[in-house]
Formats: sequence, C-alpha cells, structure tokens
Amino acid sequence: MATTGDIRKDTGRTVFGWIKSRFPTVPYADLTRVVVETDQRQLPRSHAEKYELKTIWYWYPLYCLGGISFIAFIVLTITGILLGFFYIPDGRLELGASGDLTNPAWRSMLTIMNDIPFGFIIRGMHHWAAHIMIAAVFLHMCRVYFTGAYKKPRELNWLLGVLLILITIMFGYSGYLLPANALSEGAANIGINMTRASPVIGDQLATLLFGDISTLSGRYILRWYWIHVFILPLVGTALMVLHMGLVWLQGVAEPH
Amino acid sequence: MQIEYVKEKVMEGPRPGFPRQYGPDRLDHQPGIPLFPQEATRDLVTICLLVAMMFFLSAFVTPFLGPARSPQLSELIVPDWYLLFSWGLLKVADIFPQFTIGAGTPLKTEFSAAFWGDLLSGIPVIFLLVLPFIDRGRESRPAKAPFRSAFGIAFLIAWIFTSSLYSIREVVAQRWTAPNGTALIPDGTMKWFFVIPPVLVGLTSYLALRRLAFAPMRRYLVPYVLILTAIVVAQAGAIAANPAALGAAQAFFPEILIALAIVVVPTVLTAFFLFRAPESTARKVSTWAGALGLLAFMGFYGAVAYLDRPTALGWVLSVLWPNMNTLVFMPIFAIGTAWLGTRRPYSTYEYLLNECYQCGKCHTVCPVTKVEDDALGGLNLVYNTFKKQHDGVPLWTCLACDACSAVCPLDIQYSDYILEERRKVNAAMAADGGRRE
Repeated sequence: MATTGDIRKDTGRTVFGWIKSRFPTVPYADLTRVVVETDQRQLPRSHAEKYELKTIWYWYPLYCLGGISFIAFIVLTITGILLGFFYIPDGRLELGASGDLTNPAWRSMLTIMNDIPFGFIIRGMHHWAAHIMIAAVFLHMCRVYFTGAYKKPRELNWLLGVLLILITIMFGYSGYLLPANALSEGAANIGINMTRASPVIGDQLATLLFGDISTLSGRYILRWYWIHVFILPLVGTALMVLHMGLVWLQGVAEPH
Repeated sequence: MQIEYVKEKVMEGPRPGFPRQYGPDRLDHQPGIPLFPQEATRDLVTICLLVAMMFFLSAFVTPFLGPARSPQLSELIVPDWYLLFSWGLLKVADIFPQFTIGAGTPLKTEFSAAFWGDLLSGIPVIFLLVLPFIDRGRESRPAKAPFRSAFGIAFLIAWIFTSSLYSIREVVAQRWTAPNGTALIPDGTMKWFFVIPPVLVGLTSYLALRRLAFAPMRRYLVPYVLILTAIVVAQAGAIAANPAALGAAQAFFPEILIALAIVVVPTVLTAFFLFRAPESTARKVSTWAGALGLLAFMGFYGAVAYLDRPTALGWVLSVLWPNMNTLVFMPIFAIGTAWLGTRRPYSTYEYLLNECYQCGKCHTVCPVTKVEDDALGGLNLVYNTFKKQHDGVPLWTCLACDACSAVCPLDIQYSDYILEERRKVNAAMAADGGRRE
C-alpha cells in the first residue's frame, strides 16, 4: 500500500489513520512533530553557553546527580515489578516446623533469594539501586544548595525537591520494613514510637500508618507494602515529572 | 485556528519563564551540542556504567536478610545509613526537659524524648523548606557566597554526620575501651560532637572560602586561631598541672606529657607565626607544623604501642579522647585554618572575570581605547583579555584606572586581575634572579 508520507492524506489507510478517524489526535500529533523537529534537535543552551562564558568545567560531573537518581529510580521500578511477582506482603507471626517464629513475608524473601532463578540478583539490584538513589538525591541536593540554584526563579522546584527527598527517604524506610526480618521489626518499633509521640493524634496516626500501635499483629507489613508500591510511586513519579519539567522550562542554573 | 493559537502560545514571543528563544523563526546561531547522537551517547555511557556498577554490587555483595522478625529482640538495631541522623537525634533527645502541657484536656502534649526526637529531626526539613525565602539573590558559586556555603558544610554535612555518629554510640563505647573497661569516648564527649566540630567546620570553611575569593583574611584569622590555641594550651596545661586527677593513668604521665606536647607545640608555633610573621612565612610554618605534627602523632601512636607496654597507649588515649573536642579538633582546625586562610588563591581568571556577560560597558569607558589603535582599528583591552589573547598588549597598556569596574553591572574588578597578572610576571622575573629571561 503506497503512502504519501503525510499523515493527513494517509487517513484511513494507516493505523494512525484508523485512530484519527475516531479521535481528534492529528492536531496534537502534528504539533508534537513540529516541536520535536524544530525545537528539540539540540539541548537548550545553558546560561554559560548563551553568553559564551568561561565555565568551571570540573563542576560538570556534579550536574549528573539528578539524572543518576532518576536512572536508579527506573532500575528500582523494573526490579520492583519483578520482585512483586514473588513477594507476599503478610507479616503475621507463625510457628515454623522446628518451633521457631516465621512469617509468610520473610519466607517469600527466602524463596526469592534461594529458589527463584536470578532472584538474589534482582533483589540485589533493588537494594543497591535504592542506596545509590538516596545517595545521589542527597548529593544532588548538596550541589543545588552550594551553587545557590534554589534561588529565584527556581524556589518552587526546590520545594518539590525537598518533597522528593522526603519521599525517597520514605521509600527507603518502607523498603527495609518489608523483608520482615529483625531489622524490620526494630525499625517498625522505632517508627511506631516516634509516630505515637506526636501530640493529640499520635495513636490514631500510628494505627493509620502501621495498622496497629505495636508490631505484634504484623499488620504494618501490608500497610507499608501498599505505601511502598502504590502511594509513594504515584506521588513520587508525578512530582519527578514536574521537577524535571520545571528544569526544562527554567534552564539549568550554572554558576559562572 | 486552534492549532495556530496553541503554536503562538508555545513557540513565539518573549515569554516569562522561557529564557531561550525556540522555534523555526529563531535567528541566532545555537552553539549547543545536538541531543542525538552526541548527548544521547554520553548519557548512555553514564547509564551503562551505573547499571554495571549495580550488577557488580548485587553479584558480589548480597543484601543481608537475617532471621525472621520476632517480638523478643536483643541485638542492637541500626537503621540504614540515611536515617542514622534521625536515630542519633532521637537518642540525644533525653537531654531536653520532659514535661506535659495541657494535661487532662484533649490537647494534651507530652514532651517526651521521642517527641523531642521528632522535633529535632524536623529541624533540617523546616530549614530546607524555608531556605529559598530567606536566602535571596541570584545563583552563584560557593566562594562568592561564603556564609551560605560555610553554613551548608557545617549544617548539611558536619552536623548530619555527627548526629549519625551519635546513633551508634553503643558501638563506639563497646569497640573502644580504656584498660579499666570504661568507654574511651564518654557519652558527654560524644554529645559535644553535636556542637563543637560543626561550629569549627563552619568557621574554618567561611575563612577558607573568603580567602578563595581573594579577600585578605588576616584580621579574622588571627583572633580565631589565637582563641583556639589559648583553649588548647589551657586544657593541656590543666591536665599537665594536676597529675593526681589522672587516676590510674598517672603511671604513664611522661607519655601523656609527650602526647600533649605533640598536640600543643605545632598549634602554638602556627599561632605565633601567624601573629608575628608575614603571611608567606606563616603559610610555610603552618604547612610544616601541621605535617610534622600529624607525623609525630602517628609515630607516637605506633611507638607507644610498640616500645612500651601495650596498655600504655590505652591509658594515654583515656586522657586524650575524653577531651577530643578541645585537644584533637581544635589543633587540627587552628592549623588547618591558618593554612587555608594564608594560601594564595589560584586561578585568578576564573574567580575575578568569569561572571562577565559581555555587555561592553567597560569598553565604552576605557580611556586607553580612545588614544591607542591596533592593526584591526580600535584596541579593545577587555575583550582581548577575556578571549585570553593577552599577548602583552592588554596587560601592559591598561592604566588600572578602574573606570571599567565602576560601570560594570557585575562588579568585576578588571584592574585587580591585571595587577594580579603583572604580579605573576614580576614574581617569575624575580625567581630568575631579577633579570628578564
């Protein structure tokens, strides 16, 4: 089937045409094409490039930290989806065959580590990508602070960044609650006690976040599993897109 | 049409928030690097390196799982490293008064150690949230904003680090003990880590950064280093003057005296030369005093353990380590500050000229260009300098009249740069025996 190369003329003959005859997509696709072909063939120039300033080249590696944390986030998403196929978010205590305490979540961790092909590699990737992401986010914040990049006109993006670093830390905290091992138990106890210490609504808040005011029932595993795999990714991804969109609009703050 | 309207909105016109001109109508040459394939290839290299690093780590360092959770916990719980600061703040929170307000009402608030811990952990977050509304102005490199940078190094790095350190106080207390079984670094000393090292780090960074941006720092340096030295001398003197207070460590009094001398002598030497001698001499003295003091300390550390009875080192450290905040940190910071504050700033070009955005006002007012011509007609001193084309013409023709600095919207001190470059040439000639090469 011969096409003319023009989306408008090929209407009805291509897959896109099939969609176009049902939904008004052409103006937006056309606009996107124009934007891609004319605007974004090159990265926007930084301030230093625009005015041909002599920049401090050895600072450039510090400008990749935000990107590194985003790449780590993508790796975390992929490995997290894979781990989600095998992990059981149930922390209720059970008596094992030899009389020791176990729980389904911890046993599913054993399965991932010992039985699933490449399971320990996937968990290792998830673990190390999380550490790299948090380190990169912290160093990224330090870079933005020390170059004064949070100042006008980028105050809003700085606030988004502060929210994102808190979300990243919550990701990390909820992540090491999930294996339901000794560390998880201790960390959940600290978290419950710190939440309960807040005035007036302390106990209610702890019940909301941890399912109970102690770790005994093991409900905190399911609560933090849902926070870890749904709430934080939803809010976090939206804020990340906004964060990077604002960088695109406002340009990179480059001291000179 | 609607698409025309959208195009007009997105593509054209000077728009607030869009610092660059986009679209097919843009006329200027764009010197950036193409996104594809150049930038994309570079990004791909970064991504591949990062993923390779993750694969390497996950293949060889398996994450710890440990036993299943159980309500009977005996072992020490340490959260992941990025939450250690909060855990340390929670542990130190019991120094605050504990009381209850509004008891018997629905708004009862109990200021327990855990609530103080919550409040302390909230301090960094609140600081970060209000930061852009306190610190205004335009973005700049760290040396141009010394207070902000020094505060950041002290608060974001040193303070977070010492809070994290405090969270493992039990590990420190178990790992390093004096021969009589007590902790080598007592809890009180570790609590002072929250204050003394961050404050010293902040002050030293401030002086060093201002020096890096070409400010003469002698009037700040001398009192700072003298005060630190006075504290070190007073502390060491108090220990040396009252051996009876040392208890069991008194048997090793000579070794303790040597250790105190190793700490005190380089500090006093540095302070004295900073106070009395020219800066270049003070710089050399601080370099040598610091290096030799460090070597002597390390040598002493090894020698006492090797030559003397092994417990001697433990007893010496049981005197030194509880006074770490004064006897170890203050000498390091006194000598380090003297060294950083007397250094000759390097790369004058970057620090003095680099903010220029070539508005050309300096050229307009430059008196030399009114009377001098070069082959191309109209000598442009400043332009030649910025293009690093100083073949001697801008360098030796400039009158250093500072008319350019007076009109510069960014306060670039052009004549400072010229004088600095001339000084370099003169210094090179002096090093050659005072004659031209």
